[in-house]
Amino acid sequence: MVKVDHAPPVLKLRGPSPRPQRIRSSRGEGIFQVVNVVILLGVVAVTLYPFLNIIAQSFSGESFIRAGEVNLWPRGFNTTTYQLVLSDSMFWTNYKNTVVYTVVATAIAMVLTTCYAYVLSKKKVRGRNVLIGIAVFTMFFNGGLIPNYVLISSLGMTNSLWAIVLPNAISVFNLLVMKSFFENLPEELEEAAQIDGLSTFGILFRIVLPLSKAVMATMVLFYAVAFWNSWFQAFLYMDRADLFPVTVYLRNLIAGATTAASSGGGNDLAQVASNIQSVTMVLTVLPILCLYPFVQRHFVSGIMLGSVKG
Amino acid sequence: MFSTRKRVIATGALIALVAGLTACSSVGDSDGTDLTGKDVGAMANFKAGDQFRATEALDFSILFSDHPNYPLQDDWLLWSELTERTNVTLAPTVVPMSDYEQKRSLLVGAGKAPMIIPKTYPGQEQAYVSSGAALPVSKYLDLMPNLSEKIDKWELEDSFDGLRQADGEFYLLPGLHEDVWQDYSVAFRTDIMDELGLEAPKDWNEFRDVLTAIKTVYPDSYPLSDRFKGDSLLNVVSMTYGSTAGWGWEAASWNPDDEKFEFTGATAEYREFVEYLHSLVEDGLVDPESFTQDDDSAIQKFVSGKSFAISSNAQTLVNDYRPAIIDTVPGATVAKLPLPAGPAGNVVAESTRLENGIMINADALESENFTAMMQFIDWLWYSDAGAEFVKWGVEGITFDRGEDGKRELLADIDYVGVHPGATTHLQKDFGFAGGVFAYGGATELLESTFSDEEIAFQDVMKKKDVLPLAPPFPLEEAEREQATLLETPLSDTAKQATLRFILGQRDLSEWDDYVTELEGKGMDTYLDLVNSAYERYAATK
Repeated sequence: MVKVDHAPPVLKLRGPSPRPQRIRSSRGEGIFQVVNVVILLGVVAVTLYPFLNIIAQSFSGESFIRAGEVNLWPRGFNTTTYQLVLSDSMFWTNYKNTVVYTVVATAIAMVLTTCYAYVLSKKKVRGRNVLIGIAVFTMFFNGGLIPNYVLISSLGMTNSLWAIVLPNAISVFNLLVMKSFFENLPEELEEAAQIDGLSTFGILFRIVLPLSKAVMATMVLFYAVAFWNSWFQAFLYMDRADLFPVTVYLRNLIAGATTAASSGGGNDLAQVASNIQSVTMVLTVLPILCLYPFVQRHFVSGIMLGSVKG
Repeated sequence: MFSTRKRVIATGALIALVAGLTACSSVGDSDGTDLTGKDVGAMANFKAGDQFRATEALDFSILFSDHPNYPLQDDWLLWSELTERTNVTLAPTVVPMSDYEQKRSLLVGAGKAPMIIPKTYPGQEQAYVSSGAALPVSKYLDLMPNLSEKIDKWELEDSFDGLRQADGEFYLLPGLHEDVWQDYSVAFRTDIMDELGLEAPKDWNEFRDVLTAIKTVYPDSYPLSDRFKGDSLLNVVSMTYGSTAGWGWEAASWNPDDEKFEFTGATAEYREFVEYLHSLVEDGLVDPESFTQDDDSAIQKFVSGKSFAISSNAQTLVNDYRPAIIDTVPGATVAKLPLPAGPAGNVVAESTRLENGIMINADALESENFTAMMQFIDWLWYSDAGAEFVKWGVEGITFDRGEDGKRELLADIDYVGVHPGATTHLQKDFGFAGGVFAYGGATELLESTFSDEEIAFQDVMKKKDVLPLAPPFPLEEAEREQATLLETPLSDTAKQATLRFILGQRDLSEWDDYVTELEGKGMDTYLDLVNSAYERYAATK
């Protein structure tokens, strides 16, 4: 996924047209550039600051956080909270669950979405409109929370991986993006492959997919991030703490910090320190954060391809 | 092709319909208290004070609110000892505390709820009454000798009446407090008060004097900058004015002279209370941001020495303020001061004696172990032995009794900081003193884990008079819907206007206009509903 691959041929036509460097940019353009940079730097600061602040908090002493003295740099530097959270076995159990759920769910979602999208992209397939209709229908209507719960539990999927992985296996949005990507692949390539004797699956695996790396990478990212961040499915269908993903763990931790202060129930003591929250947040975001820069290139070209030419 | 589409839609609709029906189908209406054949495992002659022990091994399902500070462990001594003593094994459905209520309503709605549903606050059970999902527990109190004894001994009859629904039954087994327990008050910088020679204020006028004295020395500060969005302050001040606001807000308040309910936000007491708070803000004694800022901002102002008073309970005092202020303001001391008295006297409100409690899945009645389950619940939550067990654990293993009979945690066990540095924790490693089982109860037990400072505070609070409870007005389901529709905008209007009056954004001379606005929003219709429900209730008494 990290490997740089060639952008599909179509993209090349859309590159910036070569322009002689000699032409002086006008005064207006210069001002625009400056304003643009300033505004964008502002946006960067606004989006980056909370994150840096969380990182700084995660290394800071509790009393400095309480007194609001932590900004971009840790005060009262320590790593005891990291050691504390990292030594909590439930954190690791849940972290492992998140990884497993994300990997399995993304794999299943990719297989199903690719197959579905490929079929839908073939205009000659009979009943294609019905298949699209069924998918789009679910974008706007669903059974609702309780019927869904009854369904999943009647299927015996509660407290299992399948309750998280299967119900959301196909995101219709992703499906449509992929479908329009496939539709734009030159039909002649497939015809040529057919003449050379490839079966339908052969065409899919040996011709279409290798040409679709950009969109595949984008979809993997979409799905993986969505599954990594999701907590609601697990919250609904899991009845044991050792089955929760780390997002549920984190959510509960933060809720614990806020309610312990205001409940006044004499027993829910020992408020969770705010730097435990920040440590957990940092640890949870880290993997996705590391993944992003590598996939982002595909991400941009992939989504543009699907949407612009759809 | 069209027919295919039609068929797909029809099938889909059918599935949805069936699912919906399954979700809605509720328990059979096996009325009455005929419990023959439902006493398998139950004790034949279970009395208050007896140790409950099922005559055969039983399993009960329970919804468990998982606290992030002490997440559930299967090897807790709590579980094994519980089974040892009662022959009952609890099968918990673990729900993160953060979203407990949502999962509870989902499970009850789907008909998949466990039998025992704790952590249900009074009022929350109403949503499950009309569908028949919650058991009318009042019919089965004779199975619960410990609870019955406590209701008698602690004179909780009136409080329980407040739980009754229109059919005269109640559907929740609440947690109980022996005495009124007022935890929240206002914490002050006592070092500053000593420096200025100020005494703890006895009433709200003295409270104002203390703030004024601080303001004269620190003219650029707001002496009081509050947290909890002002809800705690509004609650405690309004209480002593004989009204309700903030956390304690009740839309209808009882007027004992006229023997009927009035709209709280339109009463003379309420106006007096609003005027008082307005005067504090007007004089610059209370930070206007108190009612909007988040908790962290308020705490920051307090611990960095920019403000000198803040709402507090026993825990926030030791968790939020003291550790932080030591580093930032050397020599600072903080204490929670007893609640000042108001025009209604030196009082606290009684609304605090019922705690979160247990709702029981109506399906439990179908079980042959029903009687045993009620006895078990009675023992675990309402007997003295059960309450001590869930809070302190097992004598000799987690705690010992001193010569004066006072319980003491063993040296290697920490809880509320009594043994800092101990390697095990009463909640985390043993499962005791957890929020699902242990709350409130006898005052002696409640205070057994308090610090000396808090006990001294509570001793002062106990000398206060307790305001009488308002009588109940159980609404029927259709009425309740209508009442909610009326009450929500009324309460919103009142709360919004209250803040604007307090902050001076609206002049108090416009009070009559405000009352007219309330009338325009159906205040009288709402009161008619409430009062007729009360009269109906009073007639049955």
